[in-house]
Amino acid sequence: MFHASKTFALGLGLLVLGAAPSDQPPGPDADGLLHLSMLAPTRLSYVGRLESVQFGGSKSEATIYRIEHRAPNLTRRWYLAPQSLFGDWSLTRGSTAYNVDVKRKRIYVSTNKVLDDQVALDDNFGLLTSNYRVLPAPPQTVAGRVTIALLLINKYTGQIAMRLWIDKETKLVLQKESYSSNGAVTRQLRFDEIRYTADLPAPVFQPPNLPGFTMGKGATHHAPSNDLLSVVKAAGFSAGFPKYLPDGFLPVAGDVSDIKSIRNLHLLYSDGIRTLSLYENALGAAVDLSRFRTQQVHFQDYTGDFVQDGSTTLLAWHDEGLHFALVGELSRAELVKIASSVAK
Amino acid sequence: MQHPTTERLIDYIHAALAPQDDAAVHMHLDECSECRQEHAVQIRLSEMLRADAAAHERELPPMLKAQIWNAVRSLEPTAMDRVRAWLRPAYSVPVAAALIVAAFVAPGYLHHNASGAPSIDAAYYLQDHAAMNGATPFGDHSGSAAAQFEETSNVDQTVLHAVPVVGMARVSR
Repeated sequence: MFHASKTFALGLGLLVLGAAPSDQPPGPDADGLLHLSMLAPTRLSYVGRLESVQFGGSKSEATIYRIEHRAPNLTRRWYLAPQSLFGDWSLTRGSTAYNVDVKRKRIYVSTNKVLDDQVALDDNFGLLTSNYRVLPAPPQTVAGRVTIALLLINKYTGQIAMRLWIDKETKLVLQKESYSSNGAVTRQLRFDEIRYTADLPAPVFQPPNLPGFTMGKGATHHAPSNDLLSVVKAAGFSAGFPKYLPDGFLPVAGDVSDIKSIRNLHLLYSDGIRTLSLYENALGAAVDLSRFRTQQVHFQDYTGDFVQDGSTTLLAWHDEGLHFALVGELSRAELVKIASSVAK
Repeated sequence: MQHPTTERLIDYIHAALAPQDDAAVHMHLDECSECRQEHAVQIRLSEMLRADAAAHERELPPMLKAQIWNAVRSLEPTAMDRVRAWLRPAYSVPVAAALIVAAFVAPGYLHHNASGAPSIDAAYYLQDHAAMNGATPFGDHSGSAAAQFEETSNVDQTVLHAVPVVGMARVSR
């Protein structure tokens, strides 16, 4: 029998102690540079052009957009590719985004309160430096700027999880590559052009009021709670929890929400770079995978459905009245191993 | 503001204008559909020239890379392709026979599925998980760019318990 409180107590204990899982001390200079680069967008304004590619097992998605960013949290993106998004643009004001579909004359307003959660960001940075070694790599020029390159290496597996190219002068991340556990690139983000400026006028970032456009509702995401015991209690059903998590992962947050009147418990786990979400409900609501290409997976006595969407993976299954969905940036084998360990 | 000249639009596309002029052209493009069209034409022309100039370079220009990736994506078989594949004679006879048998012996099962047991769209879980990366250092929290220009899949969501408690899980550095 598995008790949530034990995992949470262990997790919180490790968090509070800031226990480093490796004997090797962290590099203070590299960690400091990493922290500066994480916060750079809150103090730097710039215009430029970005290319983003998500590499998936069966498909990849490339996006190119012109960006105008006014510190600390106003950003406008003007999409140039793919062709289906050409001319569309989005405006982000803190946690609210206005996504303007020029062709259909629709503006989708979405909110993500997680973006305002500075406490969670600081906590996750602590997790990152506990679980990853930060090492310098050979410098390179990106978008005409001299950079310092950093490798983030998992202390348990020795694998490179991320490579960052940080502007030597301003400390802004100009290029980023994320890697899967087998070493393949899963995401790449790169500035093709950048120009720093302090003169971006605020009116450019006013919410769009475009004649002839209608408003559509985008997604709303609330910041989850880190009071996990209360969250689990609020679910109102006997929930399942993973006995196994990959090294470095800890429970960090959770929330309970009603979706189409179905109560869902969501638990979030993280190692500072990679995240894992476990969603579950006790009302027999299966995961609708009709819009995705699925693979059947058999483990223990269960049959689950596996989906790879870009670099994100999902495994759905059910057990004794509970329906589960496990979502993360982990391999199928890792998801199956975690799912196999889920018990009440 | 008057309509910007073509030269001025080209400078804008290449981020070569002074910041004030850049912002002025940007605002004008918001309001003027005629100039937006001209802007789109110039971008296409610019990309064509860039592609041509880069033809002898080792690195592919970014627009071409995007087109390649999107072409790769479009190579995936569509639902119609899969239906066509299943309609080949080698499959069609046994599949048709199986369907007839299933319709005869198991109408209750088919009816049960069609009646729609409760379900939650997997896209909701993928989007929600991506949003959580907003508090992860260097995380990508927006998921697919195209998904941001779609009607939400969580309109029926009511959050019951999601108030962060400050100070419970602080990490000491």
